[in-house]
Order: sequence, then C-alpha cells, then structure tokens
Amino acid sequence: MTATIIDGKAIAARFLAGAAAEAAALAAEGWAPRLVSISVGDVAAAELYVRNQSRQAAAAGVAFEARNYPAGISLEQLTGVLAGLNADPRVNGIIIQRPLPAHIPVKALQKAVHPLKDVEGMHPASIGNIVYNDLALGPCTAVAAVEILKTLPLSVQGLDVTVIGHSEIVGKPIAFLMMGLGATVTVCHHMTRQVAVHSRRADAVFVAVGKPGLVTGEMLKPGAALIDIGINRVEDRTVGDADFASCAEVAGWITPVPGGVGPVTVATLMKNAVLATRMQMTHYRQAFAAAE
Amino acid sequence: MTATIIDGKAFAEKVRGQVAAHVARLKADHGITPGLAVVLVGEDPASQVYVRSKGKQTVEVGMASFEHKLPADTAEADLVALVQRLNADPEVHGILVQLPLPSHLNSDLVINTIDPAKDVDGFHISNVGLLGTGQKAMVPCTPLGCLMLLRDHLGSLSGLNAVVVGRSNIVGKPMAQLLLGDSCTVTIAHSRTKDLPAVCRAADILVAAVGRPEMVKGDWVKPGATVIDVGINRVERDGKTKLVGDVDFASAAAVAGAITPVPGGVGPMTIACLLANTLTACCRANGLAEPEGLTA
Repeated sequence: MTATIIDGKAIAARFLAGAAAEAAALAAEGWAPRLVSISVGDVAAAELYVRNQSRQAAAAGVAFEARNYPAGISLEQLTGVLAGLNADPRVNGIIIQRPLPAHIPVKALQKAVHPLKDVEGMHPASIGNIVYNDLALGPCTAVAAVEILKTLPLSVQGLDVTVIGHSEIVGKPIAFLMMGLGATVTVCHHMTRQVAVHSRRADAVFVAVGKPGLVTGEMLKPGAALIDIGINRVEDRTVGDADFASCAEVAGWITPVPGGVGPVTVATLMKNAVLATRMQMTHYRQAFAAAE
Repeated sequence: MTATIIDGKAFAEKVRGQVAAHVARLKADHGITPGLAVVLVGEDPASQVYVRSKGKQTVEVGMASFEHKLPADTAEADLVALVQRLNADPEVHGILVQLPLPSHLNSDLVINTIDPAKDVDGFHISNVGLLGTGQKAMVPCTPLGCLMLLRDHLGSLSGLNAVVVGRSNIVGKPMAQLLLGDSCTVTIAHSRTKDLPAVCRAADILVAAVGRPEMVKGDWVKPGATVIDVGINRVERDGKTKLVGDVDFASAAAVAGAITPVPGGVGPMTIACLLANTLTACCRANGLAEPEGLTA
C-alpha cells in the first residue's frame, strides 16, 4: 500500500467550521441562513440524505426545514411553491431531493429555483457561470471533488486530468472547474474506446460513473491522485467506482468510500448556503439601499 | 498532399439553401417570417463589414432583417432598453448584439439582457449552462458550424478521440460540449498543456482555436485525422497581408485525412449557422418542429 488515504471527514469538518463562523457573522447582521428541503412522494428514498443534511446544517449553524409534498402534486403546484420560496426573504437556499415522481421533471424544478438561492448549483445560470470560469454556487459534488484535489500538494496548472463519466451534475462541471484552474482535461464516458489509455496518462483521475470496480490499479499512473465519487451498494457494503485495494497500491493519493467525497459534498452544500445568504444580503442592500 | 480539403464555402451555401427552403415553407404553411435583429454600436470598421454581410445573407434566405445602428456614445440604459424592446417584439426571433461593444458598455450585462430564446449567438449565461447540461440551448455559431462540418465529413463521431486546442468561451468550451454531446472522448488543451504536440497526436479530431498563426504543425497530427482550423490570423508574407489559420496547412495537409482551409473552411459557416439558429429560434417560438440537421 503506497497511497495516502485522503480524509474526507477532516476536510468536511474544516469546511463546516468555516461555514459556521460565516453563518454566525450573517446572523449578527440579521441574515441567519436558512435552507428549505423539498421532497415529493416516497419519503424513505430521500430520508437518509435529508437526515444527514439536517444534521450537517445544525453543525454549520444553518436553519433547515424539511418539507414533503404528496406524490400526486402537479408540476404547476410545485413551481408555485418554488416561486413562493424564491420571493421569501427568510429562505436563503432551496434543495430539491431526488428521486422525484416520474411526472415531475427535475430540470424544470431546478430551473424554477432563483439562481441566488440555488445552493445545489443546478440552475443553468449556475452551470453557465462555471463554464465561464466564474464560480459562485457550484454543484456540490463536483465542487467537493475539486476542493479535495486542491488540498493535495500538486500544482494544478498544466496538470493532466482525466474525468471518467460525463454526467451533467458531476463529470462535466468537474471538467470545467479543473480547466478553469489551468489543467488539461480529458473527459471519458461509456463510448470511450480505451479508458485506460487516458487514465494512465493522468496526474489526477476523477471517477463518477456508478460502476463498482471500474478503475483498477493498472489503469493508473504511479503516484496519481484518484478521487472516487461513486457510491455503490455491494452486498450491504458501500463502495466507490474504484477497486480500492489495487488502486491504493499504485496511486499517490486516494479517497476512500465512504468517508471521502461524500462528507465534503454535504459540507459544500453548507458553504453554498452561507455564500447564497451573503449574496442575497448584498443584492437586497443594493436594491433597497435607498429605501433603508 | 493526401488530405481531403473540407470546402466550408460550398457546405455553408448548402446550409443556407436548407435554411431558405425551411423559411419558404414557414411562410407558405404558417404565414411566419423569421426575423433577425442585429444591433451595432459605434463604427468599428470590421464590425460594420460583418453586420452588412449578415444583413445581406439574412435577406437572401428570405428572413426579415432589422438593423439597429447606434452611436458610439450610446448610454447603457438606452442599449438595454432597445434589447428589451426587441425581446418583446414578436417579429424578432433572433437578436445579435455585435461585439466588441465600446468600452463604457458592460457586454455581459447587455448580452444577459437578451431573452435566452432569442440569443442566436448562444452567449447568454443560461444558454451556456443549458449547453453545459445537455439541454436544448442556442448554440454559438462557430462551434456549431464546426460540428456540422465534422458530421458531414465523418458521419457518426461516437467514440472518437477529439482534442480541442483553446479554451475560449466562444469557441473552445462550447466546441468541447458539442463533441461530448456527440459521444467523443474530449480533451481540452491550451497554452498551459504539457507536451501539446503529443496530446494533439492522440486526436482523431483536432480542432485548433487559439489564434496563433500556424502553431499546429504536421507532426502534431495523427495520420488520417480530421483537422478543423478555426483560427483566422493576418500575417505579413513577402510584403503582402495574408490570412492563415492556427494550423500550418501545408505540413498538416500532408498527414491529415481531411482539413479545413483558411480562408474558405470554418469562416463561411459562422453566418450560415447564425441563420440556422434564427430559424431554430423561430420554430421553437412557434411550437413547430426544429429544422432537421441544422441544430446541435
């Protein structure tokens, strides 16, 4: 075993402490951050996430309200709910829990969240800002993965990075965030002919596909950083997309699953919550300064 | 010389022909005429040439062309008000604000005032994000033109290794998104990339968009690769001004399977795609099927 195991929980704790200090400062100005979580229908599916987010919010000094709507609610009713939350100055961030019932298209809801309250970083304008290298509220998992890489003693300028998986919420934003930092990025996916050719060239590999054991040690360049974003249930165990044992023999750094990207993702949500609150406070003061 | 020369001029003419045929059908079947509004602020000579050329081609395909020429000292509020009027005008399906704007105007603010559905340049932050998340968007014209040329020449792009050299907001980044959308494995290289020639040599599709004359040499090109040269650089050669691309054409053409020349490659596609985008915007605005083969 040669790889240093990256302690996601320790990074998350640092982020949460920073968020808590910022939340306290905002609260002192009358802007205590508050999140609203929306789930629809089957509560059980999202329950684990909601409970975890609620606990981390408490740790970060962010108020957290979990709302559940019946499975039969229409898209129009839900976008109406969102319009209300967008207009409510006491709500600073909106989380849309997945899965949603089949008749509710998730993208339609994400677009209905005001970009200043988009703590999940899923609004097209939030993604557009990332592409234009102007990160404010980014998608939490992608931002967490990149933040983890930034804690390593690697110079990101000119770093060869391979991203395996080109999902809209993880793979693609990671690619654009890393490119913005000066890395040379290659994006692989299910149509890529030889992933190993690309991954073996990389100083850092991000994998976010949802296939256990997809990345093995012989696919890595010795000493590379491996950030594993996969979360898969295999025989009652949670594993990532990497074959941890063989990858840890070759990599220089590796994130474990669980305990790697996961906790940093939730901490990033809290960082976004306080950032969103500050942006709203600034926006509000600019818009209404004359009236105050 | 082994490479097939990709004739962008001929292909652009074909695209304009397809657009014109669609426009004629829209008029005949639905009584709709697609309209493109172009806003020019100031008297930049290059911009004036572009705007004239755009207006002429818009009319040639049967669309309505609305030109708004404003003085260089136009106030930002007046320009924003004009854009808002055009947003509300049902005759206008596409709005293009010619860049660069005079320095006292905030281009981001003006571009983001355009209704994303009418943003035929594809520069509105929402369109950037929609493209980034694989949703229906207005796609920037130059990379859309490159994609059309590639599809026309190669058929399916799925599984091919594509390298985009250059990470600009208007070409490199959207090009990478479009190639990912067509299932290429995409590498975005740039000035900080280590061993750029080796990265380029891995490419089945090589798109050069850096703005450096003849930077990409023949020995950077994998034999048989398709090379798309987006660069347009003016250089002095033997006392004369000459247009060259980002690719050293002579040496690259000896190795590549196909290559776009400069001029006459990607260049003519840009306005053709602007017209295609205006048509697409018009179809979407009227709830009609999008023109096949003219979108991403």
